[in-house]
Amino acid sequence: MTVSRTERRAAAGFLLPFVVLFGAFFVLPIGYAIYRSLLTTKRSGPLGLGGSRTVFAGAANYVAALTDEAFVDSVVRVLGFALIQVPLMIGLATTMALLLDAASARGVRFFRSSYFLPYGVPGVIASVLWGFLYAPGVSPIIDLLDAVGIHANFLGSSTVLFSIANIVTWEFAGYNMLVVVAQLKAIDQDLYEAAEIDGANAYQVIRSVKLPLIRPALVLTTVFTIIGTLQLFAEPLVLRPISTAINTSYTPNLAAYTQAFVNNNYSLAAAQSVILAAAACVLSFGFLHLVGRKETDR
Amino acid sequence: MTSWRSHRLGRAAVLGTVATLALVGCGLGSGAKDSGPAAAGRTPGEKIELTFWSWVPGVDKAVDLWNSEHPDVKVKLEKIPAGGAGGYAKMHSALQAGTGAPDLAQVEYQEIPGFLLEDGLVDLTKYGVDDDKSKFVEWQWQQASYGDGVYAVPQASGPMGMFYRQDLFAKWGIAPPKTWTDFRKAASTIRAKDPNAYIATFPPGNSAWFTSLAWQAGAKWFGVDGDTWVVDIDSAETRKVAAYWDAMVKDKLVKTEPDFANAWYKDLQTGHIVAWPSAQWGDAILSGNAPNTAGKWRVAPMPQWEGSAFTSANWGGSSTAVLKGAKYPQEAKDFAVWLNTDPKSIDLLIKGGYGWPAAQDALQGSALDRPYEFFGGQKTNDVFAAADKAIDKQWGWIPTTAAAYEHLNDGFRKAIAGQGTFVQAVTAAQAKTVADLEAKGLKVRTS
Amino acid sequence: MNTAVQPRTEEPVAAAPSVVPPKPADGRRRGSARRPPLRWRIVVVGLLTTLALYFLLPVYWLAVAATKSTGDLFGTFGLRLVRPHLFENLRLVLTHDHGIYLRWALNSVLYAGVGAAVATFLAAMAGYALAKYEFRYRESIFNVILAGVLIPGTALALPLFLLFSRLGLANTYLAVLLPSIVSPFGVYLCRIYAATAVPDDLIEAGRIDGAGELKIFVTLVLRIMAPALVTIFLFQFVGIWNNYFLPLVMLNDPKLYPITLGLTSWQSFADRQPELYQLTVGGAFLSVLPLMVAILVLQRFWRSGLTQGSVKG
Repeated sequence: MTVSRTERRAAAGFLLPFVVLFGAFFVLPIGYAIYRSLLTTKRSGPLGLGGSRTVFAGAANYVAALTDEAFVDSVVRVLGFALIQVPLMIGLATTMALLLDAASARGVRFFRSSYFLPYGVPGVIASVLWGFLYAPGVSPIIDLLDAVGIHANFLGSSTVLFSIANIVTWEFAGYNMLVVVAQLKAIDQDLYEAAEIDGANAYQVIRSVKLPLIRPALVLTTVFTIIGTLQLFAEPLVLRPISTAINTSYTPNLAAYTQAFVNNNYSLAAAQSVILAAAACVLSFGFLHLVGRKETDR
Repeated sequence: MTSWRSHRLGRAAVLGTVATLALVGCGLGSGAKDSGPAAAGRTPGEKIELTFWSWVPGVDKAVDLWNSEHPDVKVKLEKIPAGGAGGYAKMHSALQAGTGAPDLAQVEYQEIPGFLLEDGLVDLTKYGVDDDKSKFVEWQWQQASYGDGVYAVPQASGPMGMFYRQDLFAKWGIAPPKTWTDFRKAASTIRAKDPNAYIATFPPGNSAWFTSLAWQAGAKWFGVDGDTWVVDIDSAETRKVAAYWDAMVKDKLVKTEPDFANAWYKDLQTGHIVAWPSAQWGDAILSGNAPNTAGKWRVAPMPQWEGSAFTSANWGGSSTAVLKGAKYPQEAKDFAVWLNTDPKSIDLLIKGGYGWPAAQDALQGSALDRPYEFFGGQKTNDVFAAADKAIDKQWGWIPTTAAAYEHLNDGFRKAIAGQGTFVQAVTAAQAKTVADLEAKGLKVRTS
Repeated sequence: MNTAVQPRTEEPVAAAPSVVPPKPADGRRRGSARRPPLRWRIVVVGLLTTLALYFLLPVYWLAVAATKSTGDLFGTFGLRLVRPHLFENLRLVLTHDHGIYLRWALNSVLYAGVGAAVATFLAAMAGYALAKYEFRYRESIFNVILAGVLIPGTALALPLFLLFSRLGLANTYLAVLLPSIVSPFGVYLCRIYAATAVPDDLIEAGRIDGAGELKIFVTLVLRIMAPALVTIFLFQFVGIWNNYFLPLVMLNDPKLYPITLGLTSWQSFADRQPELYQLTVGGAFLSVLPLMVAILVLQRFWRSGLTQGSVKG
């Protein structure tokens, strides 16, 4: 198809608004963050009251970020969190989707709606909610557990990360489930008939028909979940006042926020943001690459 | 499935775009933000409005009083979260953004150097604040002064004592502890008498409180020597205090829950926490959050370390500062001085529980100088007045105090979780604090 | 409904995406002669019910808590209704501080509604252009946009704040709106949907009829892409509504806050003003109601639209 000039101009016209804004609000900030992360401030006088100048610092901020125990801890923590949270989330979402698929039609809509409901609650509000549900003195859960003799502490140093994982799971499992359900519904019914003719039981149908064919949905939800868990911010921030286990560098985002607005180390915060963005990209790309390769290997 | 691999040309295009845009970003300016046009000042008769960010309870009433007496210079109070809970983050963010910063703000003494480093406060000597110096207690004036400038108007401090449940102490036969050894003994007795009760909590996330205890023990963490900062957090006195509380925690003589939180309030209400070494403004916290224990508390002087003269310490202390970019710094300074010296204003602030006034002679006949029902009729402020006289006035702060607190918090948390001791926490905080200051481009040495 | 998916021409259905096959009336698998055993069904329903309890419990707690006074909130068992006065509490929420809550709600609607609408339109145009026009560097541009999907939004918020500060845009409505109208994921979805659901012949026919490119896009293509557009709108709407980090970093003036920021600011004052606990809970309850209703009602669009992306992805 030859491309006429009017068509080329039209294409540019359609594409340009988005591209310009994308450049301004995605590419430019990353560029500015990288630029800012290469600077540092030199001061004279004890309070810098003698003046300050911004100088090029090379990789100094990156070295500082990567050798800062608190920041490294936060990255490790978030990666560990992802390692547990992502399979849990995807597993739960898939299980819920499969269960819904196996159930009779009558209850399905009710169940599906109740699982998806928490998605409408903003993360911060969900954290406030669950903060009340974790707080001794207010929480009915703690009261109920106390009644059977279990003294639960959801906010202690060994349990708070799981409590946060719970909030995230509660919020997004239903959303991920819907993605899987949509994929399940797209499976050609003839495959089920063929499986039945072959004498497959329910489990075998799941393993050989459903699971392989919902792979694209699982890939999509996994990538988004990875990106989401690395950005963990609102949940620890909201729970911080009631939990002694959460410090101001609990997650990388929280650490960057603290460096910027509490310690006024904008260059260091910029470096931390860049590190976080790079890690997310690498992990997502790596995962997609892995999945893509597996697919071509088949 | 679309190919994820971009070919070489595509990659070059991306890099080129990023580079160009980064250069554009550079072109947007670098270095310190400009401080804006010089304040033009108010013409007589001009009606102006000043914004004031604060979280102190009761300050709204004082502001209302000012507004009724000064209809041309109105002050609009905006409530913000407490400084450490996001208030300072808002202020720094607004200063950085160049818009939205208030004219006046609540700034605790330990934060002032940090603001100065970011060129965030107006030097009030340019607006005649030296004339007001005699109205304020000397050492608090020093807290707001750096070099030749005065950067805030002192508001209040927090001389410390010990609140305790007199009824329970009497029931268990314990006398209010005069020394820290007695305190420890009392702690074990309490544990023995009631398995649910603890003498107090050690809040791992509130190292400002720990700092005051080190202050009481004679530590001098921070100082300036010419143009070099001196940091000495892990001095012998601090280690003594750290080791003491480490033992208390390890022997389970104190709780480790956060203070100023629901669980702790509940424990105060139910008699599971029966004492609190705290500042004078803690009385409002107790009466506000454990009202059903009215009449059962008393105040005693802080427990002392053996072998030293009577010393108390200060916890918290706040000022009213004028932020850079304020359009009417003269009027702002006038309001700040009025807020913190006018007897009617001080009265309203005291009723709100703002702390120990920085104004000279503010105590006699003030709302503080009376028996308190909540404390069974005790004239509690006699204890605090004595404490106020026994504070080491040489204590100073550094520009990265907030970060230093965080390092201590982290260390205490680790220790409570089983990794290390409080003394190690203090040593680690020392090293990190020195590093913080160096990262800011400042000169540091240890003592 | 999904009738919009059907192309207007006589093209064989094979060209259309093979998704959402006709559902049997009662949802059971067609031709499944065996009914699953009773024990199996009980287990399934049991699990489903347990999960439903887990997801609904906090919402129920919220509803109950919104009816309580501050004293009862801390004093009584959370799941039991005690002395309910819901409307009184909601009235307090709406009138506190000169009705700032309503202002926050309007702000949220503004940010999310306008942001999502503009984002959808821009993404539709861009996706259409990438799908239906050929030009050099088309794939490279698409790959760069895809990379944008993988960048966490929070990593951008801080640099955006610094940038906007320089430009004097921080602490304004634009500070939150502008970054929200860029949706790389929307472009991705639109491209895929346009590539599969919009037939080339339709566009050609439009051109032959003398219609301009923009006219073709607005009158023909947008209608076909409607399911994808609704999905992107919803996705972006919820994303902006739920976004906390960006407004937190950008906004200082409480009059500009969205509900999320406003409610957390109330909560941060609550230990000095205990009645704010009640207001926070009541405000949270009010805020989740409309979005939950919307989600329930619009669920079906969500599912069918998402199918496009996930099948081809």
